[in-house]
Amino acid sequence: MKDNGESGALRLPFWRAALGRLLCLALTILLAAFLAAALVRVAPGFGVDERRLDTRLSESSIRALDAENAGNANLVRYFGRYLSGLCRGELGQSVSFGQPVRELIADRLGLTVRSAAAGVAWAWSGAAVVTLALGILRRRAWELAATVLSGGLLCLPSAVMALLALYLRVGPGLAIGAILLPRILRYLHNITGAMTRRPHVLAARARGIEGLRLVTRHVCLPASAEVLALAAVSVNMALGAAIPVEALCDSPGVGQLVWKAALARDLPVVVNVTVLIAAITASANLISDAIRGAMRREA
Amino acid sequence: MRRASIAVLGAILIVLLCADWIAPFPYERQFRADVAVPPCRPYRLGTDALGRDRLSRLIYGGRVSMVLAPLAALLAVALALLAGLTAGCLGGWWERVVTTATDLCLSLPWLFLLLAARAMLPLNAGPATSIVITFGLLGLLGWAGPSRILLAAVKRHQRSDFVLLARSEGCPPWRIALVQILPNLRPVAAAQFWVTAPAFLLSEANLGLLGLGVAEPAPSWGNLLREMENLSAVARNPWIAAPLVALVMVVSCFQVAISTGDFEA
Repeated sequence: MKDNGESGALRLPFWRAALGRLLCLALTILLAAFLAAALVRVAPGFGVDERRLDTRLSESSIRALDAENAGNANLVRYFGRYLSGLCRGELGQSVSFGQPVRELIADRLGLTVRSAAAGVAWAWSGAAVVTLALGILRRRAWELAATVLSGGLLCLPSAVMALLALYLRVGPGLAIGAILLPRILRYLHNITGAMTRRPHVLAARARGIEGLRLVTRHVCLPASAEVLALAAVSVNMALGAAIPVEALCDSPGVGQLVWKAALARDLPVVVNVTVLIAAITASANLISDAIRGAMRREA
Repeated sequence: MRRASIAVLGAILIVLLCADWIAPFPYERQFRADVAVPPCRPYRLGTDALGRDRLSRLIYGGRVSMVLAPLAALLAVALALLAGLTAGCLGGWWERVVTTATDLCLSLPWLFLLLAARAMLPLNAGPATSIVITFGLLGLLGWAGPSRILLAAVKRHQRSDFVLLARSEGCPPWRIALVQILPNLRPVAAAQFWVTAPAFLLSEANLGLLGLGVAEPAPSWGNLLREMENLSAVARNPWIAAPLVALVMVVSCFQVAISTGDFEA
C-alpha cells in the first residue's frame, strides 16, 4: 500500500513535467510558424506576383490574382487561416511549384530523412570508433592527430564539403556524415574526456581495469545521458547540413525544396517546412530529455 | 600557440585593412583581353571569367569578411549579453520569455534560419546593402547560443558572495547588474566572441556558395568560393581555391585561439 502511495506521488510530478514539455513543444512549433510567417510578410516584394507580368492575362484575371494575394497580406489573418487549415490537414498551395505543399513535402521528406539518418549513422559510427580507439590506446600522438583532423574538417564550410561529395560522387548521406563527424567527435571526445577524470574511473584503473572494459563500462555507460543529449542535437545538425548538401548535390529532398522556395519567396512552402523542421528537432529534444530524465530517476 | 594565432590573425587583418595600397588592382576592374588567365606577372592568382584580378578580389573580399564577421559577432554577443543579463537579473516571466525564445532559435537548424531570413530580403539589393544585410542577419540571429551561456553565468554570479553582500547593503538591482555582474561576464562574453566570429565566417561562406551572400561585384570570401562550384576546374587550376585556403587558415587561427585560450570566469 505504501509503495503504491509513493509511486502515485511520484507519478503526478512526472505527468505534470511531461505535460509541461508537450505544451512547450506545441508553443515552440506555433512560434516557429508565426516567426516564419512574419519574416515572409515583412519581406520586400511580398505580394508581388510574377504572373501579373503575363500579358495574356485579362484585367479581371489580374484583379483576381491581386485579391488572392491580398488575403495573405494581413499576417494575423494569414496565420489564423493557416492554423485552421493545418487542423484539417491542408497546407496550402505552392506558388513557385504549382503543387499542394502537402504533396511536395510528402514526396521529398522520405529522401531527406533517409539522407539525414544515414549521415547521423555514419558520423556516430565514425566518432564512436575513434573515441573508443583513443580511449583504449591512450596515446597522446593519436589524440593530437584526431584533434588536428577534426579541427581541420571543422574549418571547412558545409557547402564546400557538399561540393567535395559531389566531386567524389558519394551520396548525400555520406556527405552529411562527413559534415557531422568532426562536430560529434569533438563533443564525444570532450564528454568521455571529462568522464575519464572522474574518481570512479581512477578507482577502476587503480584496481587494474583497463582497455575496452574500462572505456565501455566505466566511461561510456555513465556518460550515456550526455551522449543521448548529443544524439538529439545531431538530428538538428543533420537537418541543417541537409540544406547545402541537397542544394549543391541536386538531391531532391526537403533541404533543396526550402532553398528553392526561399529563393522564390514561396510563402506556404517556407512556413510549412519551418514548422516541420521545428517539430522534428523539438520532438527529438523532447524524447532525449524524457529518456535522460528516466535514466536519472533509475540511477 | 594562442599568442601566435592571435598575432597571425592581427597580421592578416592589418594586411586586409591596407587593401587599397596592397591590392594590385581595384576589385571590380575587368581586363577584357585577359579573361581566365593563369597566374602570371601582373595577375599573381590569375583572372576570373570576367577578367578581374583574383588576388585583388581575395584581398578586398578578405577585408569584407574579416572586418564584418567579427563585427557581427560583437553584435550577437551584445544582444546575448542584454538578453542574458535582463533575464538573469529580472527573473520570473522575463527569464521564461528569454529562455523560450532561446530554445526556439536553437531548435531550428542555424543555416535553415539564416537561409530563410536572407532569402526574404531583396535579391536585387546592391552590393553594399547585401553586405550589411548578410552580416546584420548573422549578428541578429546568432544571439541564442551565447545568450544561454551568459544567462547561466549571470545566475552563477547572482549566488556569489559579492552579490549577496551588495544586496545586503541595499544596492538596487540595476546597479548590481551593471556594476557587480556585468564586469564579471567579460571573460565569458570574450569566449563567446571568439567562438562566434569563425562560425559567422563559415556561415557567410555557406551563404555565398548558395548564392545568398554578398552580391556581386563586391567580393567576399563567401562569394569568391562560388568559383569552386566546378571542382574539376579547381583540380586543373588549384589557385582558384585560394579563398578557401585563406578561410581555412583564418578559421583555424580562431580555433587555436579558442582551444588554448584562458577564458575562465
